[in-house]
Amino acid sequence: MSDPLIALVLLGGLILLLSAGLWVAIALGTVAFIALSLFSNAPAGLVMATTLWGHSHSWALTALPLFILMGEILLRSRLSQDMFDGLAPWLSRAPGRLLHVNVFGCAIFAAVSGSSAATAATIGRMSVPELTKRGYPESLILGTLAGSATLGLLIPPSIILIVYGVATEQSIARLFIAGVGPGVMLIALFAGYVAVRAWMNPSLIPNEARHFNLRERLNASRNLIPVALLILGVIGSIYAGLASPTDAAALGVVLATILAWASGAFSWKLLFEALMSATRTSCMIAFILLGAAYLSVAMGFTGLPRNLASWIGAMDLSVTALLLALTLFFIVLGCFLDGISVVVLTTSIIMPMIQAVGIDPLWFGIYLVVVVEMSQITPPVGFNLFVIQGMTGINIMRVAKAAFPFFLLLLLGVALISIFPGIVTYLPSLMGN
Amino acid sequence: ENWDMPTPYGDSTFHTQNIIQFADEVRTATDGALDITVHSANSLIPHAEIKNAVRSRQVPIGEFFLSRLANEDLAFGVDSQPFVATSYDDAEKLWAEQKPVITELLAKQGLKPLFSVPWPAQGLYTNGEISKVEDLNGLRFRAYNAALEEFAALAGAAPVQVEAADIPQAFSTGQVAAMITSPSTGVNSTAWDFVTHYSPINAWVPKNIVVVNQRVFDRLDKTQQAAVLAAAEAAEARGWEMSAAEAAQKTKELAENGITVYEPSAELVDGLQAIGGKMLEGWDSKASDEARAILSGYNK
Amino acid sequence: MRVFLTRLYQAAGILSAGLIAAICLLVSAQIVLNGLGRLFPGTFPTTIPSYADFSGFMLAGSTFLAMAYTLRSGGHIRVNLIVQRLPAPLMLAAEALSLTLALLFTGIALWFSAALVQESLHYGDVSTGIIPVPLWIPQTPMVVGLGLLMIALVHTLFDLVQTRSSVLTTADEV
Ligand code: NA
Ligand code: NA
Repeated sequence: MSDPLIALVLLGGLILLLSAGLWVAIALGTVAFIALSLFSNAPAGLVMATTLWGHSHSWALTALPLFILMGEILLRSRLSQDMFDGLAPWLSRAPGRLLHVNVFGCAIFAAVSGSSAATAATIGRMSVPELTKRGYPESLILGTLAGSATLGLLIPPSIILIVYGVATEQSIARLFIAGVGPGVMLIALFAGYVAVRAWMNPSLIPNEARHFNLRERLNASRNLIPVALLILGVIGSIYAGLASPTDAAALGVVLATILAWASGAFSWKLLFEALMSATRTSCMIAFILLGAAYLSVAMGFTGLPRNLASWIGAMDLSVTALLLALTLFFIVLGCFLDGISVVVLTTSIIMPMIQAVGIDPLWFGIYLVVVVEMSQITPPVGFNLFVIQGMTGINIMRVAKAAFPFFLLLLLGVALISIFPGIVTYLPSLMGN
Repeated sequence: ENWDMPTPYGDSTFHTQNIIQFADEVRTATDGALDITVHSANSLIPHAEIKNAVRSRQVPIGEFFLSRLANEDLAFGVDSQPFVATSYDDAEKLWAEQKPVITELLAKQGLKPLFSVPWPAQGLYTNGEISKVEDLNGLRFRAYNAALEEFAALAGAAPVQVEAADIPQAFSTGQVAAMITSPSTGVNSTAWDFVTHYSPINAWVPKNIVVVNQRVFDRLDKTQQAAVLAAAEAAEARGWEMSAAEAAQKTKELAENGITVYEPSAELVDGLQAIGGKMLEGWDSKASDEARAILSGYNK
Repeated sequence: MRVFLTRLYQAAGILSAGLIAAICLLVSAQIVLNGLGRLFPGTFPTTIPSYADFSGFMLAGSTFLAMAYTLRSGGHIRVNLIVQRLPAPLMLAAEALSLTLALLFTGIALWFSAALVQESLHYGDVSTGIIPVPLWIPQTPMVVGLGLLMIALVHTLFDLVQTRSSVLTTADEV
């Protein structure tokens, strides 16, 4: 069988299994098993065990359950409601009002967490119930959350930039700095989109009951102190050199627990519930990550992504055409593989192509992350979609529909950094040499 | 026959480039009958699982950092013991003693070593010059294995565990203030963004090793086996040269990018050697007979 | 039997939660030590050896031990958009198919994970960090967790056959 045909058969199989209602993790794993058994000479079962073990105990992954736990604790304490009460007066005149909490909450949280799934889980845990209660439209709540949470990958620290930096031997410090400009650009795009939607259709956004004068605003802001302390504590511990980003997640849990207790309305029972809920969510995500890792390894053995990438390379395209082709390639690949797998599986083939046509590898790393961010919100395999379905029970296809405008905004972001590469390269160029 | 070969490091690392050339030579020598696909940068199997994946024939061949196995037997770790072998000549002499011993140890796991290539010798990265061991006192020092933790403690420094990927951030936030690593790693992580001084103290010369599964190898026909062994021999010779060239080149790059490169003072060297000597005493009490035999052969 | 099984999943789930809490405490302790090391440099050792390794092992344990509990609580994600719209008999068939495939997959995973542990024991594999940990210890929860998941899948399939109504659509009942 030819490579494109094998790819189509496997994709078809995955879609079939998913539509039949098989659990996502198991559907990914089953396709991987079939791919290995039929199209490679590797022992599928042994490779499965190695992958399940080898990818389940990674240190970088330990931050995930901790950030999820932090979200669960905040949800069960008064802190999340306080945060909205504190922000509501300030945002009462902004077009889109509290929807911006999703955008900016995710952006701030992205500066702490390295993954988009943890960002979606932590912010969404607080914002979805609160915004729903206040009458905001579901599609915008879910869309802003799914879209903005992808910033977790771009705004430093970022697991995927570390993976790219290690694989291509780019400076991780420079990659991190390079992510800041495009991160700010995307925040502006997301917030701008919310404002435009609100401005075009004012009835979409619920009226906050009244307007507030400055004094009332300042008074209400006292509600923000606990959450501000939490964010300061977590970010501060990283920048004071006391904690790595993974370490900081643990500190976040401890601080959230202390603050929740101090604010009253928290108990051992609520802590236990938070722990059990975080356990279920992190188990769900980790299981899918394991299935995805197995599929990614299977793809490595079958050589499909390599061959498809070399096929693009053999076309001898101009810079623009190459970028267009790669963007399309990554979007399609990103529908079925998670972002890190996409990077890991293709860099060996893609990097020489990039360097041959003279594209700056630092710029390409950021481009890649923005493209891969899209894969977080495209069905059928999109981690932000899974997290939000897990949290709300709303089907991933409905979440994906709500997130689609943000997919387009990310695409616009890719176009912008391609036309104005300075957005990426300006900040790192200021670093000493 | 197609072989998938997982390796831990990226394509621009000279180890990976050497292996790609090795694969090319095997392909040419066997007229394409044995085709090795190199999967670099942990893209197929994570570093920690590569040895066991070769052992259980998930992949026929793979590369890993040899002294990772030091917890299995200290014989695997002699090349990473501080201040035992501190030049390429010493390292070559040590490898001559180490090779038969680890060949036997790996054979117990059904593995056959093909070739081993050193990293450039490990140097000291700090902010400011270190002229004697006492200057390390109280410095937060990156330690990622037991030997380094012991070293830091003996030097009066505070060992801090930092994962490789977190190095730049750990330096820029002050989580660590000193580390020992190769000039290659220094250049690849653009060390000039976060440290000012580098001293080639040549603390140790660690190696990567390429192993093949013995049973898979035995199934090859005689001419293919000969082709693999010949290519491996060539790769080992080439790799050592690449490593020496790399050491010179990367040290130069560090200097070009504004890092002050200085030769260690005699006082510093003596102090570090003394620590190395103390560490060997502890090492000796934990080492297997085979591991001890390597060192006594080397010291002859 | 039902009660016993439910308790069993829950116990494993609580153990998983305990492991997450333990990761949190272990890492926090290391941060406190980092802080103390800054304040009083050189007075006492400030590293918990291999704390990253231990956290990783506990995470693996937590993930696998919680699988059955998460399944029974409806926590694992599936795309039920299409299945939900099928007529009842087809929907039951789809659920039975899903459960059977999941059983097969889990069975294979269980078999080969057990083989992995056996191999680790046979060769005496240890971790590579500062403290050498025999690998069969952190690998055993993987096997136990997959075993529990298999029991939970059989249990759920049994429920489906017995009640002849959808068992996979309700979430969050534990
Ligand atoms: Na981030
Ligand atoms: Na996707």
